[in-house]
Amino acid sequence: MSRSPSLPFKNDPPRAGEIDRGAARDKVVVGVADLAVVRDATKSIVTYALGSCIGVTVYDPVAKVGGMLHFMLPESTVNAEKALANPAMFADIGVPLLFQKVIEAGARRERLIVCAAGGAEVLADDGHFRIGSRNRTILRKIFWKQNLLLAADDTGGQHSRTLTLRLADGVINIRAQGKETQLWPH
Amino acid sequence: MATLNDALATLDTLPALPTTSIQLVGMLASGGREADLREIEAIIRHDESIAATVLKLANSAAFSSPGRTFSLGESVRRLGSRTLCRIALETQVSGTLANAGRSYGLRRGSLSQCAAGGALAADTLARRHRIDPELCFVAALLRDIGKLAIDALAGPEALEQIAAQADARPFLAYEREAFGADHAELGGILCERWGLPSEICGAVRGHHEPPSHPASAVTDIVHAADCVARWAGLGLGCDGLLYVFDSAARERLHTTRDELEALVADVLSASTPQATRDLHSLRSTA
Repeated sequence: MSRSPSLPFKNDPPRAGEIDRGAARDKVVVGVADLAVVRDATKSIVTYALGSCIGVTVYDPVAKVGGMLHFMLPESTVNAEKALANPAMFADIGVPLLFQKVIEAGARRERLIVCAAGGAEVLADDGHFRIGSRNRTILRKIFWKQNLLLAADDTGGQHSRTLTLRLADGVINIRAQGKETQLWPH
Repeated sequence: MATLNDALATLDTLPALPTTSIQLVGMLASGGREADLREIEAIIRHDESIAATVLKLANSAAFSSPGRTFSLGESVRRLGSRTLCRIALETQVSGTLANAGRSYGLRRGSLSQCAAGGALAADTLARRHRIDPELCFVAALLRDIGKLAIDALAGPEALEQIAAQADARPFLAYEREAFGADHAELGGILCERWGLPSEICGAVRGHHEPPSHPASAVTDIVHAADCVARWAGLGLGCDGLLYVFDSAARERLHTTRDELEALVADVLSASTPQATRDLHSLRSTA
């Protein structure tokens, strides 16, 4: 039997929208049902614990403007009050808001590199809920309607993911199952 | 690889739930028959974090008595015994769980947030389905207490290594292989050792694998609430979503997609610290 009484904790998580200055590079943290748009090439944007939720990143490599959305559910019709209070909770109103905010911050739509991660599913969901896959489906529909292409995505499965967008060069990393991989550029 | 005996021996080394928490569980589980405002006030007086929360809530718009109060006794009267028990218990369990879950890669406070979010979901579902809301609230709050034992058993990064190789089996199976017992079973045993009511012990033990013979409505509710919390992104560590939503439990509850998705949106606000929480959820229990 092994014990780990002194196993260190990870740093306390900064609150959503705060800058994590303890990290090697300043990070803007996007919470669950939250979005952030940043125009500062020294920073990264990160979101933790993407399960069935999906993280969407947009990045303009010329303006060095980037944004990230962490939405929970596909459609805002499920809870109109929450949708009004926090549009970032839902894909159908959160994704357009992300694009609006990043363009307001100086990005150009035609230059945007769009990526996504998350959309995991609980085991043996017999089709009743499938929140992860319905999140993935609505994202594809939104991009189809907007005539946008996903540059890269890492979705599905059962594991939780941490998604990071580095604004200096647009590199997107995913940490899952104890491993870090680069999602973009391929 | 640890055995069940190793796992059980570890339980002896864990800090006990505060005696006052066990008293509060008893008061809630009795449906208020054993609740004594003076006893509750005495518990609150000895815990600054609970007292501060109680004063803040008593002066909030949700409890609309005129004028401000700086008196704990007046606050106790305004809020009522059930709300007070819940606040006090949630604050204490939150403190116990604040440092739990590190072996799962969870950050400090994540498991407390997950407990609070699941407890709100369980309370809401229980009221809708006419099942004892206090038992469901307490059991959901304590459902992951066994992760304290896994933290003590697991070496650094042990669970991350397990998760990296996991296929599509429930995470509990890997815990049983590695530690001789899973966190749900260990949590149930801990609750039994603390003398908590059997419905709560059973719901903690079965919150990922609710039994069908005999089925328990409290366990089914806590199981559904746990899934809701996971869908809200609460308490997600390296175990991710490697858990099953039991279709038999879903059928017994007659729960629907719309019902649970609406709850996913609600539990996010419930997972913020009690003192800053949206007070509407508490108002319904006052």
